[in-house]
Amino acid sequence: MTLLAHAIAAAPPASVSAGGLRGRPLAWSEAAAGLGLWSTEWTPDMKLERPDALEHHRLVERICAAQPCLPVRFGTAFASVEAARASLDKRAEALHAALARVSGKSEIALTLLWREPAATEVVLPTAGPGRRYMEARRAEFASREARRARAESLVERLIAELAIERPLVWHETCTSASVAVSLAVLVPTEQAHERKADLARIASGFGDVIAVANGPWPPYTFARVE
Amino acid sequence: MKELTAEDASLLELVDRLLNKGVVLAGEATISVAGIDLIYLGLNVVLTAVETLEKAQERRAS
Repeated sequence: MTLLAHAIAAAPPASVSAGGLRGRPLAWSEAAAGLGLWSTEWTPDMKLERPDALEHHRLVERICAAQPCLPVRFGTAFASVEAARASLDKRAEALHAALARVSGKSEIALTLLWREPAATEVVLPTAGPGRRYMEARRAEFASREARRARAESLVERLIAELAIERPLVWHETCTSASVAVSLAVLVPTEQAHERKADLARIASGFGDVIAVANGPWPPYTFARVE
Repeated sequence: MKELTAEDASLLELVDRLLNKGVVLAGEATISVAGIDLIYLGLNVVLTAVETLEKAQERRAS
């Protein structure tokens, strides 16, 4: 039997009214440092499928609703309870600090999608092939840089209008041709829906992007332990 | 380029978090990513996530 990890929480474990993935038993493995791991009792021959990832998410949501927790990256497994305990004990101090950081908080996600494909300048058809190539490259670079600058300015406006501290915000810009901004905000759970509405309202004022707000979610982005 | 809908974006943001974020524990062993139905293979965010896992698997295997 292996353990498929879901979340880390402080001992004692809360009562979680759910089984593990695919109806298998949900286990609590307590380490010496006052931490424990919620996981599903799994077998190595069972391959993970896409629905398992979404079920893992729902399970982490239920655990985080029951007690402060750190979501573990999906797909993490331990060969034994002892291996899980040893892993927690090795990083106990950092895990306690991360738990304190996210306790009572949830993550709101905001994605800004470009309304239109990137515009590029038309290169003069009378120019020679070498110049046309160089001009096309220059136009492409200029377009990309303009979009990146615009995306960064949108992030700055969101942070300023939301009046939130920067350590509570994570973002990436222009991760694909469609995505202008992918942003996550850590907010108090009791204000999560209000803050989500605030984010959506602010972003709806940006004319060149479509805003998609999601959450509240467990604090995936802010659970990172260095 | 496949146009990204709001529904796609929501799912991708979530999948990206499940595969790329969260606590990375020492001694972790990813059981499998091959079984995950990659219907959004053309989208960069999932590609990045899967590549990250595959590289981690390769490092462990070597």
